[in-house]
Amino acid sequence: MSWDDKLIKQAKKIVKIYPQKRSALGPLLHLAQSKDGYISDDSVSVISELVGITEVQVKSVSTFYSMYKQEPTGKYLLSVCKSISCEINNSNSIIDVVKDFTGLSNNETDEEGLFTFEAVECIGACGGAPAIQVNYETVEGLSTENTLNLCEWLKNETPDLVVADELQNKFGGTKSFDWAISDNSGTTGSVPGFQTLNTTKDKK
Amino acid sequence: MSDNVKINVNGLQIESEPNKLLIEACEDSGIHIPRFCWHKRLDPVGMCRMCLVEVETPRGKMLVPSCTTEVSDEMVVDTESEIVKKAQEGVLEFLLINHPLDCPICDKAGECPLQDQTMAYGPGESRFVEEKRHFEKPIPISEIILLDRERCILCARCTRFSDEISGDPLIEFIQRGNKTEVNTFPNEPFKSYFSGNTVQICPVGALTSTSYRFKARPWDLKSTRSTCNGCSMGCSIELNSSQNKMLRILGVDNEHTNQGWLCDRGRYNFEYLNSDQRIKAPLKKTEGNREETTLQDVYSDLSKIIEDRSNKITFLLGSNLTNEEFTSFNEFSNKLGNNDNSIYLNEDILFKGFFDENIENAKIEDLNKSDAIIIWAEDLKETLPVLYLRVRQAVKNGVKLVVFGHTNSTLADISDVYFGGETVSNNFEIVKDISKLKEIKEHIKDKNVTAILGKASPNQSDQSLEKLFSYLKDNSNLKLLNAFNGGNSFGAFQTLGSVKGNREFSSEISKETTDLLFVVGADPVGKSIFSSNIKNIIDEIPTVVALDLFIHETSELADYIVPTSSTLGEKEGTFTNIEFRTSRIDKLIPSPGQALSDWEFISGLSNFCKFEGMSESLKDLNNKSFDSFALDTKPTFDNLDKPRNLDGIINTSVPNINTTDESIEFSDSFYVGKKLYGDKVTERHSKSISLLGSSQFIEGSESTFEKYKLNSGKCILVQENIEITVSYKINPSLPDSLIFFPKNRRNMNKLDFSKNIQILPSHSMEVLNVN
Repeated sequence: MSWDDKLIKQAKKIVKIYPQKRSALGPLLHLAQSKDGYISDDSVSVISELVGITEVQVKSVSTFYSMYKQEPTGKYLLSVCKSISCEINNSNSIIDVVKDFTGLSNNETDEEGLFTFEAVECIGACGGAPAIQVNYETVEGLSTENTLNLCEWLKNETPDLVVADELQNKFGGTKSFDWAISDNSGTTGSVPGFQTLNTTKDKK
Repeated sequence: MSDNVKINVNGLQIESEPNKLLIEACEDSGIHIPRFCWHKRLDPVGMCRMCLVEVETPRGKMLVPSCTTEVSDEMVVDTESEIVKKAQEGVLEFLLINHPLDCPICDKAGECPLQDQTMAYGPGESRFVEEKRHFEKPIPISEIILLDRERCILCARCTRFSDEISGDPLIEFIQRGNKTEVNTFPNEPFKSYFSGNTVQICPVGALTSTSYRFKARPWDLKSTRSTCNGCSMGCSIELNSSQNKMLRILGVDNEHTNQGWLCDRGRYNFEYLNSDQRIKAPLKKTEGNREETTLQDVYSDLSKIIEDRSNKITFLLGSNLTNEEFTSFNEFSNKLGNNDNSIYLNEDILFKGFFDENIENAKIEDLNKSDAIIIWAEDLKETLPVLYLRVRQAVKNGVKLVVFGHTNSTLADISDVYFGGETVSNNFEIVKDISKLKEIKEHIKDKNVTAILGKASPNQSDQSLEKLFSYLKDNSNLKLLNAFNGGNSFGAFQTLGSVKGNREFSSEISKETTDLLFVVGADPVGKSIFSSNIKNIIDEIPTVVALDLFIHETSELADYIVPTSSTLGEKEGTFTNIEFRTSRIDKLIPSPGQALSDWEFISGLSNFCKFEGMSESLKDLNNKSFDSFALDTKPTFDNLDKPRNLDGIINTSVPNINTTDESIEFSDSFYVGKKLYGDKVTERHSKSISLLGSSQFIEGSESTFEKYKLNSGKCILVQENIEITVSYKINPSLPDSLIFFPKNRRNMNKLDFSKNIQILPSHSMEVLNVN
């Protein structure tokens, strides 16, 4: 097993939550991703043993969902919405700015491992279109200028914790409504912030 | 019947059981609805949308997939309306978007559902001008199966089969949407005992087998229905040949036995038929050299021995003969005045079994109808693979499963109770009082129980099984399958006057008791646990005649070798399976050279000896085999050839198994069993599966091997002057100290399990490293 004892312990804790072992598959894949930034074949083997299904069944689930990354992502996963509301609000130009700045095309990661760019379907921020997610922390009401600023800021500051509120204040525009959950505390990597996975930290 | 629902399909009134799927109800009434993903034996998924039909609903007519819609009373269905036709055309057009047009080089072409249904229901022309998806063409997903992902239409039949039926889901859909493909996990091949079934049910040419690839076109194939003689399950098969070469075996859906499935050994263990190593002419050993001779010469030599009535003649028969051949040997032996005492069956595990007028023989389908299944026998997955599938199916349908260790550990996962090391000792005795085992009582007390009982290992005592048996008999409504797994062994029980096994052969036979020995289709020297004993006996007997397909470890010792036909496609006859169901074995291809059926040899020999009153034709033998059976259930050729009897005829009989009661003692905690693949001579000569049974290993738990200080993956088995290097596999379900030896793997016959076997760590790897 390529997972260390601490991670295994954490995984077993997750497995215990569910009446059926294989229900823990989703969260465990997130856990695997929080370890490597993607779902490695090693992790698939470990998970298959933990939940008692075959490796290829785990692989099947992990390749089905696009939020489980099959390749390592950069420190910041930039997901620009390309769905209808954002598109009428000019998300194309936002996408172009991100592409130009990072030099990446869709689903690519730069050599330094700093940015991964992807154009994604609706991220539920239609009221504040166009919108972007940085490590799944949403920023709404973007302009091309602010998008560039956001990218530059990430590149220069390289914050370890990305917090939606903070980004919104710095770079956002019109906000649809206050969607943030009360303990919104940001994410530490390209995995959504789950307290059980330690992929989120307190703001202060 | 009164509960049946009435539905209206295309203006016709049809009746169906409630809760049946619409597609099945229509099929049963002769209305065919095209489909790709739906398969009678698999759960419906509604993947392909080919079976869309129009159903009237309160909101008007709607297109629904008939494979996921259950019938309901007064349902009105149209399977041929313009809208349905349009839908079918549309579905096919979508399916064909990414399907390559490589039919001319595709094995499936000619029997391809996609090809046929495109012809029948498809749009005449393609509008697709874009690039199709491309994948590497074919990738091997196991030693015997190839996968062409371009041809795949994502019906999920193969993945559902491996998940639902065989329980080893090693192939799955990877990715999503347009990128979806079927694949295995990297470095985790589709190593299933049942993988060949996925090739058979694949509706396109995506899954192909190495043995049939590019061998023939389906319209050139000759075919006949027969029965597999690989184990005592008696699966119905279809033999396919072209230009007098056997090319393929398919499973036939026989409701009572295999339901369409086959194990891979049954499916692919036929290539030996075409081997150039087959014996083609009679051979005679003179001064140590084998020379070709004529059959007449063999007859005349043997008749001299036979005519001297003081000479004693013994038969050792393989269990792959047909019922008619067993009868023929029985008749011949009786003619010699031997009174049945001279015929031995090449089986290591032969004991009295549980046959009695008072015990009801179970049918295989009883597994599904009972409340609980009790299993204590050799590993079903390795020895009766399709029965293993039937047990899995029953468990899936809610039947409780109680398994006694330590052989059937693959069933432990799905069993309700598994009795391991705490209950079952290492020499297969139940160490606790059975009547006090609460776990088993709750499942069997006054319930319908089907038991599958047989010796788990040759050293299991008769008494230990009897104890369980009498407990079950007293406490439940018991039906029983005797798990003898050797080929047509039930046919032998039925047709031979009395039966004894290798153990009796090795203890009773010597130079004094036998002057002439016939070894027929048997390789006990190569594969029996009494190998060395039997070899010594054969060496001593003055004249030994082997009737066989190949020269192997036993037949090479014989003074005469007569080439015989294989039971697989080279002769006619009947076969009796584990539930005493007798079905037809048919001939499709000619035997090579001068090879002849065993009964033909015996018939010729008795003619030469001028014996009178012997059956002269196969039909006579067939009639004689089932002399005592009632006329209407007599499995004669005439009866079996009636369409209603194609699935075979059941005839229970009480066999006369004449084995000794004393048990075999192993010197240590050993258990000996068969693996599905071994290195039997027929398997060695079947190219596509020849390597699957070539590895040599022993199995045990981690703690067991720790005691022997093994760490390099290999160990050396030492006994007297024999040294065998094998690998050892961790099998966590085995109790401490118990070690498993696969007796049908190479070199295992050299070991004598009644004597001590040392297991030493192998350092050969380190030696290699130094260099």
